[in-house]
Amino acid sequence: MKSYQIKKSLMNLTPLFGLAALFALFLLIGSSQDINIGYGLKSIINQSVVVAVVATGAIFIYTLGSFDISLGASVAVSALIGGIVYNRTESILAMLLVCIGIAVFIGLFNSVLASVFNLPVFVTTIAMLSVLNALVLVLIKVNGTGSEIAVPAAAVRPLNNTPFKIMVLAVFFFLSLFIFSFTGVGRMQKFQGGNPICAKLSGISEKKMAVIAFAMSGIGVGLGAFLSIIYAPTLTRNTASSVGMDVIIAIVFGGMPVSGGARSRIYAAVIGAFSMTLLSQIMVMFNLNSGIGQMVKAAIFILVVFLATSDQRSRMLPR
Amino acid sequence: MNTNNNNIFTRIVKIAVIPVGTFLIVFLLCSLKGVKLFETTGNWILFFRAAASVMLVTFALSLNLNSGRFDFSIGSVALLSSVISASICNSAGLSTPVMLAVSMLAGTLFGMLSGAVYVIVKLPPIIVSLGVALFYEGLAFSITKGYGVSFVANKELTSFPSVVNYLLVIGIGLIVFIFLFDYTQFGYDYKALMSGQKVAVNTGIREIPNAIGCYTISGALMGVVGFISATNTGTIQMALNFGSIGTMFTAFLPMFIGGFIGRFCNEKIGYLLGAVTTAFISLMYARLNVDSSIQQIVTALILVGFLIYLNNENKILELVTLKNYINRRKNQ
Amino acid sequence: MKKVWAIILSTAMTISLLAGCGSKENSEPADAGSQQETQEQAESNEVAELDMSQKVKMGVLVSDATTAEALAFRSYYTEYIQNQYNVELVYSDELTDAAGETSAIDTFITNNCKAIISFSSFDRAAQLEQCEDAGVYYAVATGTLTAEEYETYKGYEHYVGAIGPSLDIEFETGYQMAKYYLDQGKTNFAIFGGAIPYYTEMHIYRAAGMLTAMVEAGGEGASYKGATDKDAIIGQIFADGAVETGAIGSINLAGYVGGYDMDDAWFGKCAQMAQTPDLEVILAVGNGSDFFGTAAGEGVKIASVDAYASSYGEAMEAGMLDYLAGKFSASIGPVFIASYRAALGSPVRDGEGNALALSQGYWVATSAEEFNTYFAVDSSVEAPAYTKEMLDTLLTADYEAFEKFVSQYSFEEIQAMK
Repeated sequence: MKSYQIKKSLMNLTPLFGLAALFALFLLIGSSQDINIGYGLKSIINQSVVVAVVATGAIFIYTLGSFDISLGASVAVSALIGGIVYNRTESILAMLLVCIGIAVFIGLFNSVLASVFNLPVFVTTIAMLSVLNALVLVLIKVNGTGSEIAVPAAAVRPLNNTPFKIMVLAVFFFLSLFIFSFTGVGRMQKFQGGNPICAKLSGISEKKMAVIAFAMSGIGVGLGAFLSIIYAPTLTRNTASSVGMDVIIAIVFGGMPVSGGARSRIYAAVIGAFSMTLLSQIMVMFNLNSGIGQMVKAAIFILVVFLATSDQRSRMLPR
Repeated sequence: MNTNNNNIFTRIVKIAVIPVGTFLIVFLLCSLKGVKLFETTGNWILFFRAAASVMLVTFALSLNLNSGRFDFSIGSVALLSSVISASICNSAGLSTPVMLAVSMLAGTLFGMLSGAVYVIVKLPPIIVSLGVALFYEGLAFSITKGYGVSFVANKELTSFPSVVNYLLVIGIGLIVFIFLFDYTQFGYDYKALMSGQKVAVNTGIREIPNAIGCYTISGALMGVVGFISATNTGTIQMALNFGSIGTMFTAFLPMFIGGFIGRFCNEKIGYLLGAVTTAFISLMYARLNVDSSIQQIVTALILVGFLIYLNNENKILELVTLKNYINRRKNQ
Repeated sequence: MKKVWAIILSTAMTISLLAGCGSKENSEPADAGSQQETQEQAESNEVAELDMSQKVKMGVLVSDATTAEALAFRSYYTEYIQNQYNVELVYSDELTDAAGETSAIDTFITNNCKAIISFSSFDRAAQLEQCEDAGVYYAVATGTLTAEEYETYKGYEHYVGAIGPSLDIEFETGYQMAKYYLDQGKTNFAIFGGAIPYYTEMHIYRAAGMLTAMVEAGGEGASYKGATDKDAIIGQIFADGAVETGAIGSINLAGYVGGYDMDDAWFGKCAQMAQTPDLEVILAVGNGSDFFGTAAGEGVKIASVDAYASSYGEAMEAGMLDYLAGKFSASIGPVFIASYRAALGSPVRDGEGNALALSQGYWVATSAEEFNTYFAVDSSVEAPAYTKEMLDTLLTADYEAFEKFVSQYSFEEIQAMK
């Protein structure tokens, strides 16, 4: 029994071991190639933090067994509107609040649309993806030069530093951790994700859980949008275009089951985001061409997720 | 007898209402702008190509999605199989039917491989499909060294686009798909697994061969989609970093429309009519030169609007027909 | 058992892929012999004062990894330059936004790249500032800075400069393309606007060049939406984000398609435009033959701006492409030398200590024979347009000599230099 528990605990830590292994590999290859490891670590944080924040919020949606494919577009729209507001008010605080406000609004709109009209959440987010992508083009055309909306670099430079980004990530992570692990909300969400019928019969409101999940995800998206502006204040039609897919990859890379439920882990997003960036950094050291690099990345992705979730196999094929 | 006739008539009306209604709206919008919907042969070809291609993508997406298997990789299968078939046939001077066969064969193999990875690693299909999509995109890129394939000057391979050929694709595709899923043991097993995985497995249905079969068929369909897309312009552009997943999104609207129409006839015919509906919309966008951002919004609104209707049909019908109001008046 | 198989399969896949990466691109710059030769040459001639014994790592930022132009450039760097000089060129992924550029530069700095050559322009200012802060040399390839940007950055210690077609050259390219057909008496045109809907400057300038030529040929009173000169036409396209069809005096602009949507509706628009009745010429600001070649009616001429790729040769042979203004792959040789020199401690500066700002143009082919002549040189990895011997002359050249070398970019001038 004891050995079973140890094995189970170890299995739970597999994603963490994966991250540690990737980190060790980065140091090993990096040292042999005489790379600037100190700068590299800073760069890894810079490159991971947006996905880590957005994915941490998205864990709440994934826990319910739902799935939001429009997160990247949502980051882009929030950042663009935040940028427009900064250019009109020259207030960083206003920009931050608008980024969060817009992102939460989009999230709530998704959940309300889904719950009021009884639509599957995933389908709502597919439609929202199209709407938000179109909105990005319209916003840039109406408020920018046509190709971009730029916040003055000097305005955000004081915040473009590693301690600030780590602080934002830490605050949001601990807030999410608290809600997820130390309040009834997290337990109810896991319950609903694992067994929606029993959850409903136990009096858990499906709609309320969806609203909370999308609101938390919205805060993550808003903070991600804010950090995106700080990192690269020139916003174009492709801003954050990769974030949507990166979030999905980060979450599963971190060992989160896509079906949600009791095995959901709030820390999966952070582990996954950092693992993903480390893998990309290692790939650069090999200097592979684009096609082969992508194939290697795909193979490693499957391998790592396979190992990280090896305690989650069932007799039947997963769906 | 009379009731039967009425039933048949009602069913035909319900089957046809969406495509015919869409056609009328599209026709009206074009007329208001002084544009003929079908003016040239090119317009007919565009319409039938869109219908054929979207129908096949819808089949490919729905056959796994209906079983809870979300597949991001179908676009990459189309890309990779067309790259292989076009490269071989263009360099060896082979004919269009051979290219179609090679593309379909390649799609079959890549679909099967995709299914095999899924059943071996037993990861959720959405995750496997992400990895597979990246892998196939990278492979297509490596095969062509990133250049893609261009055979615009190959008159033979670019001769495929014609109304008759697309009609043949639609007809054969539909018949084969209906046969496979409605008249074979494989199809019966598929339906059993779709509606109750656990029960089906417990009754002895072999899930793994069925799942691999689904991926294989999906791959074959996407091989044909890749072929249609490549022979349209004679070029295949490369995609990296999930650039190929856009193909999948074209199938959602026709899939939901097909699901609705499928209540009154065979669901696969519903998918075809869904594809026809989206083909009318695509043709309208082309004829009226609609901006792409407006296209995206309109398509999304149609999708959401349709789903709202689908999920709240009774309430909406009550509202539209004033049923409650009339009942209340009667009761008074 | 299945689990074991899965692990074995995935591991084998990964290892085999990594092992299979030993392509030329990733191998050492050259075999030992040729590397030694390179070093000996370097020591024996005028470049002796530069210490080229240490391998220099340089980053290359790319926002495009799949077009003919991007691939031709990459091939010149990885299959020629990397084999001739003691350098390792590290490529970024295909970048899609400014954040991607920043991340890629961070990664290059981590990997101890001494210089960065940028083909990506989402936020040039941010790239420049980031490289200056990190003490890494930065150069712009196949593009130029705006006059305002140059004024700001020309004195930055780590700004190497920019070598590529200026916006004026882009305008001229479009202008000459349209004029070529107007001089033949053609009057019915269509324009493919490429990335104009995304407000890509070089495409806007090329289209403005085309429209200006039409206005000039359209007779008295001809204008494009009331605009008659270059600046006004550029301003009009910027305002609309598109080109409007209609009569420009006696010239008829019968069709226009922009964007790269690649969906059914977009291909429908392309086919529709190519089949416009009485259409004579399709002028494309980018790749025209791939999108319009098969759909265009009999006798419709297609003109493109891109690079020298074999597919264009086939299209020209088949009569589907009539005119190609193409960048030659070796055109990025001088910017490499400038960056390499900077990394070796000998940057090129003008008399006032300013960075390079040099413009280059295109090779124009109007027949398959001409194309084949250009392509043979352009695609060669043994003797490309700019060979090592030619580039070596730049290792010690001053600003004026560098400028003169770059300004002689036509095929004939380059051949004469050999």
